[in-house]
Amino acid sequence: MTMERGNDILEICRTSVKLAKHHGAQEVAADAYRVREVSVSWRDGKLEKITEATTRGLGMALYVDGRYSVASTSDLRPGALETFIIDAIALGRTLAPDPFRVLPDPSLYADRPQVDLQLEDADYDQVKPEQRRRISRELEEGVRGERGSDAILSVSTGFSDSWGESVKVASNGFEGMRYGTSYWVGAEVSVKDADGRRPEDGAYAGARFYGALPDHHAIARDAARRAHGRLGARKVGTAVLPMALENRVAGRMVGALIGPLSASSLQQKRSFLEGKLGTKIGSDKLNIIDDPLIPRAFGSRLFDGEGISARRMPVFEGGVLKTFYVDTYYGKKLGMAPTTGRASNLVFPGGAGDQKSLLADMKEGILVTGFLGGNTNASTGDFSLGVQGFMVRGGQIAEPISEMNIAGNQMEIWQRLVGVGADPYPYSAMMTPTLVFDGVQFAGL
Amino acid sequence: MSSTIGYFTRFGVDEQLVARTLAIALSRGGDYADLFFQHQVSTSLSLEDGEVNRAYSGVELGVGVRVVKGDQTGYGYTEELTPEALGRAAETAAAIADGPARPRPEPISIDRNLPHRYDLRTPWDTVRPEQKLPLINRLNEAAFRADARIKKVNVQFADTHGAIMIADSTGRIVEDLQPMTRLFLSCVAEQNGQREQNGYNIAARDGFDFYTDERLDRVVREAVARTTILFDSIVPEAGEMPIVMAAGSSGILLHEAIGHGMEADFNRKNTSIYADKIGKPIAKSFVTIVDDGTGKHQRGAINVDDEGVVAGKTVLVDRGVLATYLHDTISAKHYGVEPTGNGRRESYRHAPLPRMRSTYMENGPHKAGEIIASVKKGIYCQNFTNGQVQIGAGDFTFYVKNGYMIEDGKLTQPVKDVNIIGNGPKVLELVDMVADDLTIDEGGWTCGKDGQSVPVSQGMPTVRVANITVGGRGKGA
Repeated sequence: MTMERGNDILEICRTSVKLAKHHGAQEVAADAYRVREVSVSWRDGKLEKITEATTRGLGMALYVDGRYSVASTSDLRPGALETFIIDAIALGRTLAPDPFRVLPDPSLYADRPQVDLQLEDADYDQVKPEQRRRISRELEEGVRGERGSDAILSVSTGFSDSWGESVKVASNGFEGMRYGTSYWVGAEVSVKDADGRRPEDGAYAGARFYGALPDHHAIARDAARRAHGRLGARKVGTAVLPMALENRVAGRMVGALIGPLSASSLQQKRSFLEGKLGTKIGSDKLNIIDDPLIPRAFGSRLFDGEGISARRMPVFEGGVLKTFYVDTYYGKKLGMAPTTGRASNLVFPGGAGDQKSLLADMKEGILVTGFLGGNTNASTGDFSLGVQGFMVRGGQIAEPISEMNIAGNQMEIWQRLVGVGADPYPYSAMMTPTLVFDGVQFAGL
Repeated sequence: MSSTIGYFTRFGVDEQLVARTLAIALSRGGDYADLFFQHQVSTSLSLEDGEVNRAYSGVELGVGVRVVKGDQTGYGYTEELTPEALGRAAETAAAIADGPARPRPEPISIDRNLPHRYDLRTPWDTVRPEQKLPLINRLNEAAFRADARIKKVNVQFADTHGAIMIADSTGRIVEDLQPMTRLFLSCVAEQNGQREQNGYNIAARDGFDFYTDERLDRVVREAVARTTILFDSIVPEAGEMPIVMAAGSSGILLHEAIGHGMEADFNRKNTSIYADKIGKPIAKSFVTIVDDGTGKHQRGAINVDDEGVVAGKTVLVDRGVLATYLHDTISAKHYGVEPTGNGRRESYRHAPLPRMRSTYMENGPHKAGEIIASVKKGIYCQNFTNGQVQIGAGDFTFYVKNGYMIEDGKLTQPVKDVNIIGNGPKVLELVDMVADDLTIDEGGWTCGKDGQSVPVSQGMPTVRVANITVGGRGKGA
């Protein structure tokens, strides 16, 4: 199939901006998107589900007489759009004025990086339905071909892909378009345990280019290995132990550190990191860079959601907090210059080794390979999270553990970061490596 | 044909188009097809830093076309309600099957024989923002007045005026108006340089008159109390101990420990820890657990599910014995039983799945006071933020935001911020006391599964769990 590129949604944005100004908005920002998504699920020898659709929508931020409202719609029928805008403006007029609500200073739109981020696979429309089914089927066959397959209760696999385009137009001089593709492939495996439990685990991978997907036979092997690894898992004694976090799940801990860096959290007094700029939050090993300009990465962008031009930004250097995530609105409330309101790709420089070598260094402790629920108090930094994984003995992975919990405080745990790998997780904008912490409270028996 | 509430007009479609689209959906031999039309208008007003200064309004209009062949599903959807776009979505969905066409339904008729669980005197699209503003401002002032330690107050007032229309290949059309409203008050307090945050929210399929003075007072009182008590609260010790679940939102334990595992898709796929356990005893004889779509104006209530099935009250555990899974039409056919009205979806962008509605435990033989008095050392779990479960292994968690230590049968030290982790079937066996004070929580709970969120309710009488892992701190060093 052929994609019509961009023009109609650009036209919808421009028309909406014009209509909004005509009906009384002084400033307006409009975002429109169109996404085509296809997914195939396969289970136990046959197709389970196919989904295919092209979806679209429009969002608007309206600045009316010093007041602010946001509106979104999927009803782009002629006539409906104008009524929708008139209603949204009328709703905005009923509110209290808000002097902090302005579009970004146009100077922040300038210097948009002139690089090709390679986010769109030009051959997207070459992927055929038979290919998606074949890969899904071969994934299942791969899983069942591995050792221990007599314990398998069910195998679900899938292939999904999407192509998307979005346009942003702001009345103070911003226009930007983005295109992107992505492909995901994965397998989930349920196995039967001796005590009647049916643990499951899986493996998956994603890429912006079809050709960059890893060999799906390797994914099948990994899924089988992970699921079989859960057999016989049990909880062990409550103890304080070293903890290694697998790169695939380390984002859960990093997210609790990054979230409270937003200007909205600071201004609303919901951040344990308020006033901590320039202070040491973690050990020397804590280094994080926000890098929006990595070719083919999932969090890459030339401009952020407000239109602010993207740039590389150190977040932590040697454990010291270097920046907050400041958007226009809360930046104005706080008297801080905007940086960007939202993280792009997170990179962890300066690491060394991989899970194997880091476990060898750790010697005794627990390798966490999955989280289950739990939460973090963003005001105090206290966290308590369900975990599963493996005991580590003599630097080697030993018996599986489950139904355990870790608890601590964000302001303390990063000081005990003793190991950082050079093995970034490739399938997320948060490119976390293996992380090793000393002295973590585990709860179990 | 006539339509009393104008659904055909609302969606800009007619019987002819519905019949034609269903014919395309069945053109490759699907067993069954349905069209799910949705039109939803949502509004929310937010107060921050003392002013109601942001509004959100959203319109969702679209249709999903589903074709079922055995337990296989084809799905397509579109926001364009034109014959061409509907035809394309139907062709996409039809591709799940590969055989001769089935005849289109004839005739098509509207089924008006539906319950009325949330009719409104005043629909939300007739309530002006000017009516809501004083209410929101009043909550803000009351929260600041209630305690000098309160430093920040956020209020969000949201309402949805939504309509669905489902047309299926049996020729049946079902329409439902599904209102929803939710009010959330959160606050940040300061004491001696320390900060804490918490909140309270209420939600219902109800109208503006849901917001009585009594309810609004409770929102402020609870939000402030649940925040300020955190200054006196500690994170409890780590390890195994008995817990007492307070009446009300403790239903989160049921939602995670058994509710999800009883959703029939997981059992059909053989991946739930409850697969093959129907008819077997799994709890004490005084434990009865239900999932109920019938509660008047409840957030988790539905007249019909998103497959058009009238929702009833489904017994998951009947006096200790595992009784019924939660079914959609696919799983009901697989098991040869009637669907239970649990086929739900987030929107027209998704195919329905078996989902919970309002999940709770019926009253038992004990008294709340007697249950607390029975615990030598443990935790009383009162308020919760979130939970999660592994369907197959059965491990589940819930996060306790507020609670108390129980020492020698009495509530003593307040506790906070602790995750509790257990295994579903093991924990159900360990429920050894159930009180007679069932309370359905009035909060706005939302359940997530396969990337789809749906509104749910939950409830519980006071219950004792004899032993479970408390994810606290300060032990084993």
